[in-house]
Amino acid sequence: MREFMHYITDAFYSASGWNEDNTYKELNATARELIDFPLPRGLRLNLSSLATPHFATSYQLSSVGIVDGSISYLHSTVPLTGIAAQSDRIPLPALLRSYRRLHDLGSRARQWDVGPGDAQAETTVPAVANTEQSPASRGGTLLYGRLYLPRSLLEGLVVRRLTPSLQVQLSAVSERSLRNGGTLLGLVQYDRGKYGVEGLASTDGGLLGIRGLYNFGGDASLPSASSAGGPANAENHGNGQSVEKERIYGRFSAGGEVYYGTLNKSGGMSLGARFATLPAHRGTPLTATLTINPLMGNINATYAVLAKDYCSLATRMEFNVYSYESDWAVGMELWSNRRPAGFLLGADPNSQPESDLEPPRKKERSFQAKMEWRLDDPEPEPRIPKPEEGPAGKEEYRGVLKARLDQNLRVGLLWEGRIKSLIFSLGTGVDLRKLGEPFRSLGLEIQYSS
Amino acid sequence: MAFNFNWSPLTADAGFYKRARDLLTTALNKSPKPPIIVDDIIVTEFNLGSVPPDLEILEIGDLAEDRFRGIFKMCYSGDAFLTLKTRVQANPLNTYLSGKPAFTSPQPLAAASSLTIPLQITLSEIKLSAFIILVFSKQKGLTIVFRNDPLESLKVSSTFDSIQFVRDYLQRTIEGKLRDLMMDELPAIIHRLSLQLWCPDQMAKEDEEPKEADEHGVNPLATPPLDAVDAHGRLLDPAAISELSLDGGPEAQLLFSQKTLYRLCGLTTSQVTSSLDTSGPRDVLFRAWAGLSDKADAAGTPPLSTPNLVRSPSYTNAHTYTFSDSGSQDHGSLPSRPSLMHLNSATAGLSLGSGRHSKTGRKKKTRVVNLRRKVESEVGSERGDESSETASVAAPMSEPAMPHPILEVPEEDPLSSKVRFSRSADLQQQSRRPSIRSEAPKAPEVQLQAAEATGSSAATQFPTQLSEKKGSQEVAKGTASVDSKADWRRSGPMSDTSSVILEQAWIMKMAGEIARRVYDEKKRNPSFWDDRDDTPPPAYEAR
Repeated sequence: MREFMHYITDAFYSASGWNEDNTYKELNATARELIDFPLPRGLRLNLSSLATPHFATSYQLSSVGIVDGSISYLHSTVPLTGIAAQSDRIPLPALLRSYRRLHDLGSRARQWDVGPGDAQAETTVPAVANTEQSPASRGGTLLYGRLYLPRSLLEGLVVRRLTPSLQVQLSAVSERSLRNGGTLLGLVQYDRGKYGVEGLASTDGGLLGIRGLYNFGGDASLPSASSAGGPANAENHGNGQSVEKERIYGRFSAGGEVYYGTLNKSGGMSLGARFATLPAHRGTPLTATLTINPLMGNINATYAVLAKDYCSLATRMEFNVYSYESDWAVGMELWSNRRPAGFLLGADPNSQPESDLEPPRKKERSFQAKMEWRLDDPEPEPRIPKPEEGPAGKEEYRGVLKARLDQNLRVGLLWEGRIKSLIFSLGTGVDLRKLGEPFRSLGLEIQYSS
Repeated sequence: MAFNFNWSPLTADAGFYKRARDLLTTALNKSPKPPIIVDDIIVTEFNLGSVPPDLEILEIGDLAEDRFRGIFKMCYSGDAFLTLKTRVQANPLNTYLSGKPAFTSPQPLAAASSLTIPLQITLSEIKLSAFIILVFSKQKGLTIVFRNDPLESLKVSSTFDSIQFVRDYLQRTIEGKLRDLMMDELPAIIHRLSLQLWCPDQMAKEDEEPKEADEHGVNPLATPPLDAVDAHGRLLDPAAISELSLDGGPEAQLLFSQKTLYRLCGLTTSQVTSSLDTSGPRDVLFRAWAGLSDKADAAGTPPLSTPNLVRSPSYTNAHTYTFSDSGSQDHGSLPSRPSLMHLNSATAGLSLGSGRHSKTGRKKKTRVVNLRRKVESEVGSERGDESSETASVAAPMSEPAMPHPILEVPEEDPLSSKVRFSRSADLQQQSRRPSIRSEAPKAPEVQLQAAEATGSSAATQFPTQLSEKKGSQEVAKGTASVDSKADWRRSGPMSDTSSVILEQAWIMKMAGEIARRVYDEKKRNPSFWDDRDDTPPPAYEAR
């Protein structure tokens, strides 16, 4: 589950029109989230609130043997009016989705795609953001601080949007056990849509780094793509690229990263490429990435596919040409529109979507039709509302089951959903190699926000 | 005077390197490893080489056939080498990220992917120069203390010699680890190895002894029973022998052969099982000397269970109240033992005597020892009765005066005494066995019980004790004449050793303390100590 503050931060990016996915760091985010989703440990309670459009607070209490917690505050100069912060209204895919669809390249024209089936539901947000675009993108600033209480660990984050295409992030951690009492990481992000470049510097080891991503093919190759703005652009693709839709229609991205620690004289680098279908693609959305670390001989390939609206799958394979070590992992995400208990009890007759469907089915043959000894005229079919079909789809999904399996036969299971106005996340790790005591960890996370 | 140091014979033992490797492996994996090392460190090769270290004798504090204490200056630049095998994380970025807060992590996409590489590290060209305090005794094994940081230089060659960063890191890390190893672990390892070589039977006790010492210090009640039974035999005997010509006989018994100890063990365990059948005792005879004689007398009268009960209280009592009673005839053999001890202590000197007492108190706890002691003490006690009316008087005085002896001293004494007498003991045992065997198979069992049970009622005590006493006296007289000669021979060295051992223990303590302080100090401000390292401490320069 995405933390509430993370969700708010995402909302800030979208409100200020920043495309956070257009960076090399997020190249294989889809597969990573499908496979390496974090499992909750112990019991954790989150109480969050977006008190005003500019201010959010979050309190966390967790108990893993010992009780600890954290307090966090967030302030945004950009009003976050468009988002649903109440835990009974937050679109679940925004919090839980793993498969990331590509956004439009123009950072200004970003569509906030929340996940399968919620594209339209979320269009309200970009709409809001778009209206305030020019002021927001000029001076958007986000301040975030978090204090972990028993540990006295302090986290701070400042995000400042300097120009529409330039953003600066400064994050810091302060803790006594760290060398020099803490570390500071500065990040300068430059996003031109077609390419995005990031430079970073860390006080820890004097690490300097630069990473960049370049997009080509698909919409990136069209000169109009970047110039056209907003949802209109997406429409444009939908209509204008009808020929392309038949074929696989997607975007290539390639990038690389280089790091160098000035104090410890060490470094690292990697190269990566990705192909992902664009939302306009009518076929099965897929994302494939390949990253290579030429220094360490590591090759990493991932493939993620949104097989159905409610099901996404991902695989990852790793191989090291120097040490011949290999690794594989598969991940799966299964959305359900049943009540959360439906996973255990099977179909729930009281489930709301089905009750919606009841009236049309029971509709009797019209008197006139009976008199004429014929059936009713076929009505416009009251199809089961697909997730794509409007706001109804937003409440469609009530839970998601995530599972992963890796080479060591370790299984991670995560079941997330909403009960009333509580969003829960129940996860466990199972080790199939040790069937005597298979459960390695068990955790429950509950989030409430208003 | 000449010393002959044999370097290669140490390595001639086939099992030596294997044991050394095992010990080193466990020592290296004990402390948490840096993130760059992702697997256990395994010592695959270890060779002491053919070039012995240069030893310069600065001081010899003690010298005898079976013990040695001296201070050396050692310089080593030989061909010893050590090969370690482990797996390391070759990606510096990966180790850089480990242990860092995720919030400020640069979150590299693939640049931090792990590459673990099996690594062989060879440590060679080891140059050492150190002041060593070496204490050796056959009983305690070999103890080495470094007075300063011995590691001068060392060459670390590994798979990563071509990568500057990794090589430097390894060199630094390993040097630091090795320093710790030399100062802290190596003395312990050598000590354990030497124990295995010279006195394997000590190994088991090593662990128990410290605990016992602690308990004794805390619990005064525990000591008295122990003294009466066990410690007696061990601690007192050497001193006693030297003092009294009469005691020669019992000494021999002090020697515990491994075999008998095992048998006794078996015997005690058979009791634990609560099976009524204790078939073992017949072979165990000599343990039961005193008991045997008792049995012979009382064999018909008391059932087996009663003697046990009776005995145990008597032992405890003997110590607690009875030094005053020792003169009285009721307790018979039991009181006489304490008296013996006191005699020795009194003659040796106040300090020694006090030290002994404390030791005896501690030692008692081990069951095996206890059994042994009884035999001795009982046998000796008869003799003691006659001569030790005077001794008994001395006892009460010394006991209360020094209820808590110094802990370090006592541990050494028993060990030394034990080894020394082994030869004579064998002789004596042989001579005695035939006579005793026929008498009482069950005696050992009785004694065991007595040693264990301290709190039982004393009501039944007296009659049985009397009978015991008679029996034991008979036996003792028979053996006394033979043993006394042997005793005389050893008596001279024995008295000296006690003081020497005290000194030894103290010196070792001090040396260890000094070394630790020096090391700590050095760690704190290396620059300050650097210049001093080369020159020997002023104390040694004159010599």
